[in-house]
This record gives sequence, C-alpha cells and structure tokens, in this order.
Amino acid sequence: MLELALSTVGCVLLCYTLGRYNRTLTLQRWHFVLNAPERQAIESLRQRMQLDSALARQAFETAGQAREDDRHPDALTVLRVALSILEDAGADRLTRLRAMGVYSRMVRAIQPLPPPSARPFRGAELRTVASLAGLVHRFLVGAGERFRLWLLVLGLGVRIVLRGGRRSADAAARGPESARPWEAFARGIDDFDALDSSHLTAFEALVASLSAVDRGDRLRLWEQIAGDSR
Amino acid sequence: MNDLQLLVAHATKVALIALLAGIAWRGRVRLCWSFALYVLAALLGNVLVSVWPSTFLLPSVWVLKQGVYDALKVAIALELAFRVFSALPGAARTARAVILVLLASSTVALGLLAPGSSYHTVWNWQPRVTTAALWLLTATALMAVWYQVPMHEWQRAIMLGLAPYLLVFVALLDLLRRRGWSLLEPVTTAEAFVYLGLVLFWTGAAWWGDAPQLAPTPAEAS
Repeated sequence: MLELALSTVGCVLLCYTLGRYNRTLTLQRWHFVLNAPERQAIESLRQRMQLDSALARQAFETAGQAREDDRHPDALTVLRVALSILEDAGADRLTRLRAMGVYSRMVRAIQPLPPPSARPFRGAELRTVASLAGLVHRFLVGAGERFRLWLLVLGLGVRIVLRGGRRSADAAARGPESARPWEAFARGIDDFDALDSSHLTAFEALVASLSAVDRGDRLRLWEQIAGDSR
Repeated sequence: MNDLQLLVAHATKVALIALLAGIAWRGRVRLCWSFALYVLAALLGNVLVSVWPSTFLLPSVWVLKQGVYDALKVAIALELAFRVFSALPGAARTARAVILVLLASSTVALGLLAPGSSYHTVWNWQPRVTTAALWLLTATALMAVWYQVPMHEWQRAIMLGLAPYLLVFVALLDLLRRRGWSLLEPVTTAEAFVYLGLVLFWTGAAWWGDAPQLAPTPAEAS
C-alpha cells in the first residue's frame, strides 16, 4: 500500500513537471545566460533606473507644487501619475528579479554580496525586513542561497514601497491638508531608489558570475547543452 | 498464456521492433544506451515467452526476466540523470546526492524489510524495486525543472511513458496481493495491454517526436 502511494505521488509529480517542461524556452534562457551582453545590459538597466527615478521625482515635485498653490485636485492627479510611474517600474523590477532567480541557479558560482542592511532604507517596514534578512543571511552558507535571499528582500521591498505609495495616495485624497501622506510618499521614492541601487548591485554580481565563464567554455557548454538535438 | 495474451504479445513484439528501428534510424540510441538495451531485453523476453511458452513461461524465468528488466530500468534512470546534468557540475553534485539517498533507502527497504525474492512473494519485493526506479526518474525530472536544465524531447518521452506504466504495474501487483492468484490472468492481460500502449507511445515519440527549434548558438549570434 505504501509503495502504491509513493508511486502515485512520484508519477503525478513527474507527469506534472515534465508536462509543463518547455525545452525551447529553457534553451532560450540558457542562450541569454551564455550570451549576456554584460556591460551594455548593466548600463541600459542603470539608465532605465535613473529615468524612472527622475520621472517619479519630477511628478512628485510637480504634485507638491500644486498642493502648495492650493490646487488640491491637480496635486492628487499628478501624485497618482508619480504612483503609476513607480508601479510600472516596480513591475519591471519584479520580472527581472524572477529571471535573476532562475539564472542564479544556472551558474556554477556566484559573486558574494554583502549582507542585507536596514541602513539605506527609511520606511519602518522595509527596515525591519532588511534587518531580519541580515540575520537570516548569517545562517545561510552558499553564495547562491544568499543571493536568492537578496532577491527575495528586493522583491518584498518593491511590494512594500508600492503598497505604501498606494496608501499614501489614498490618504492624500482623503485629507488634502495633511502633510503626512506626502512625507510617506517621499520616503517611498527614496526607498525605491535605494532598492534600485541594490537591484543593480545584484544584477552586476550575476553578470560578473556569468562572465567568469570565458567565451570558449561558454561555447563548449552550449554544445553540451544543445548539441544533442542537432 | 491465452489467445488474447498471445495476440497482445505478438503485437508488442512488432511494436518493439518498430521502436528499435525508430531509435536506431532517428539517432536516439546515443541519448540513452540503457534504453536501447532495455528494449532489446524486452524483445528477447517477449520472443522467448510467446514463441516457446512451454519452455520459457515459467515462474523462475519470470523472476529472472523481471530482475533484468528492473536492473535496466534503474540503469535508464541513472543514465538519464547523468546525461541531463553532465554539463552542469553544480546541479550534478546535488543530483548525485539525491540519487545516492534514493538508492540507499531503496536498498535498505529491499534488503531489510522484504523477504527473499520468489515468484510467490512477488508483491512483497517487486513494488519496492519499481517504486525506487520511478522515484529516480521523478527526482531527475524535478531537478531538471528546478535547475532549468535542457532535456532532449526523447529523454522526456522515455520518462513520461515509463512513469505511468510503473505506477500501473505497482497498482496491478497490489491488486494481486489483495485478491490472490485467482486474478493472475486478468492482471497479466491488463499489464500486457498497458505495456503495449507504452511501447506504442515510445514508438511514436521515436519516429515522429518533435525536433525542437533551437535559439541561435553563441557562435551564430556573434
């Protein structure tokens, strides 16, 4: 009876995982990993982050100006524009974090990152998460696991900032005179910038780990991986 | 062996020959040598039992034949794991540890918990061997997906076919254990039909399996 139960579980797991397995997609991911256009990818990500930050700050400052001029409806509209910029940027970061998690399992070794710290962040929730992650970091041994802990913290951080931004925008709509939601939103933008900075560091570490595999090795690895299907 | 079983055995024989031809013609043999050996052994066993039943359709021959099949199924699982992870040392290290644990625990389960293997206690030891082979395949599949390791469609087809068959085999043995030898004939007939289905599935995959479209290689991209 035990064997039957074990076999059933094993068979279901195998059929489920292999049923969803897509070789072409997997090969494409490997192709990206083995051909990462290193410096160019880092530079384009840095520029994108700078642009997102500049747009969000510009919108927030414009909203703050409108609020000072007592044009509250305009201020709220522009504040929501700033929030939507952060939401778009957050979706982009979360997608990349997921992809980085996948690629981090593909490389042989990964460049170590410093333990997560609460220092760069201003929001209480985010500081708590970073502090806890700093503690967990000490108990992890492998650089890969530590790297994925970083990714987890960054993903949680983006979600915390976006949720805080939505709350602040709602609170600003309810009480246009109150300065508190505006201060919280400003803290959120600062935290988003700090998260972006860590995101870029993690991306650079991953790219450095990939480029540690030299071109000849990459070609040989690719031959081993994809050669069977020719 | 009744007429229906004989008919299914002959159909299986034809399907096994077509499968062998398919894996040889389409160059699938080098993707898993143990599988080719297993198909050869299955064909040999089928020929001996269906052409000379009075000589080879005996409990002792069945136990010997099943032992060879079991060893080859475990070899298929091990070879697939080796081939899938050979290019990636990090993943291969984890795969080796997992496979070692599975092999050790199944050896303990067989050596200490099951009595000596004989035809009359088949339901005591055979399900354990089959479950161990199935879990070796499952572990390989799970790790391949976890590490995003590219696996050939043919290797995937071997696993996708073998696992459900092994499950059915364990279920039929369990039925035999609970209901006794009176159910031997329907159980063996059902197993023969399921096995024929498995061989036909593999034959289809060997001859007409998709050749996946590849992304350009680094050399082509540069």
